[in-house]
Amino acid sequence: MLMPRKVKHRKQHRGRLTGATKGGSAVSYGQYGIQALEPGWITARQIEAARIAMTRHIKRGGKVWINIFPDKPITQKPAETRMGSGKGNPERWVAVVRPGRVMFELSYPDEATARGALNRAIQKLPVKARIVKREEGF
Amino acid sequence: MSEVTLTATTGRETGSARSRRMRAEGRIPATVYGMGREPVSVTIERADLRRAMTTEAGVNALIRLDIDGESDHALVKEIQRHPVRRDVIHLDLQRIDPAKPMLLTVPIELIGDSKKVTSAGGVIELKLRQLKVSVRPDSIPTHIVVDQSEMVVDDMITVGDMSLPDGVSSEVDEATPVAIARLTRAAMVAQRQAARGEEPAPGAK
Repeated sequence: MLMPRKVKHRKQHRGRLTGATKGGSAVSYGQYGIQALEPGWITARQIEAARIAMTRHIKRGGKVWINIFPDKPITQKPAETRMGSGKGNPERWVAVVRPGRVMFELSYPDEATARGALNRAIQKLPVKARIVKREEGF
Repeated sequence: MSEVTLTATTGRETGSARSRRMRAEGRIPATVYGMGREPVSVTIERADLRRAMTTEAGVNALIRLDIDGESDHALVKEIQRHPVRRDVIHLDLQRIDPAKPMLLTVPIELIGDSKKVTSAGGVIELKLRQLKVSVRPDSIPTHIVVDQSEMVVDDMITVGDMSLPDGVSSEVDEATPVAIARLTRAAMVAQRQAARGEEPAPGAK
C-alpha cells in the first residue's frame, strides 16, 4: 500500500475540505480518467482496491496511473479508551481529494473495456466520481 | 490558413464576483497582451469563442481580433477551465505579427495500424502528445502525423524521425521519444513462462 517513507510530523490536523481542486483536473497521462465530484479522504487501501479492480478488468494491454498519494496520517484512539491523554496513534494514510481532481488515469485501446475498468474502480472509492476523457481541441 | 474573426469588448469590470456575473450572462473575461503594448482586459461572447475555436484549425486558429473598432491578429495563449464543469472561465489572447514565426504547441496524432506490435502482445505508448514548433501564424498545422504502422516491439519514434510540414521547425531535442512500442508486463511474463516450458497463468492469452 502507498504511504510516505518518512514524515516530518507524525500527526496532522484534520484540515478543511472546501472548494475545488487547485490543479490536476485534466487527464494528463492516459486517455481516460476518474474525476472526483465531491471532496473526501481516499485511504491507501481504497487506492489499492481501485487499482486492483482496474488492472484485473483490463487484464493486459493497458496502463494505469495513480495521480493521488496518501500523505496525510489519520490518528485513532484505541477502542474503549477514556477521553484525554493526548491524540491517538496514526492508523492509516489518506489522500485529500477535492472536486475536479483526476485521481486515476488509464490508457487502453478499447473504450468499452476501459470504461468497464474505471467503473469498477469508482465502486471502490468513497466519493462520487465520473469517467473523463482526455481533452483535445476546444 | 484562414482567419477567424472575434469581437472583444473593452471596459469590463474586474474582480471575482463581477467576472462570475459576466460568465452567467454568457460573456467570458479575457486579457489581450503582446507586441510591446499595454495589456487590455476584455470580454468575449461565449458563443463567438466556441465558433472561433471549433474550426478545422482548432485552438491554434489565427484570430482577427476586433477590439472597439481596432483590428489585431492574435492567438489563444491559455484557456482556463472550471475544474469540474470544464467550461471556459478565462482566456489569454496574445497579439502577434502574422509575418513573424512564433513558438506554439501542435498536437501529435498517431496514424496506421501497429499490427506487428499488437500481435506480439505489445502496446504503443505515446510519450509526447504535443510538439513545440516554430511556425509562421499563417501556416500553423492542425496536427503533426506520426505513422506507427511499421513499428515493431522495442521500436521507438523520436522527434528526429518525424517529418514536419513545410515551414515548420522544432527546437525540441531530436532524441526525445514520441512513441515507444513495448511488451506489456503480462506478455513478458507469458514469454518467460514459455521459455521455461511452464503453462501460462490463468487469464493470460
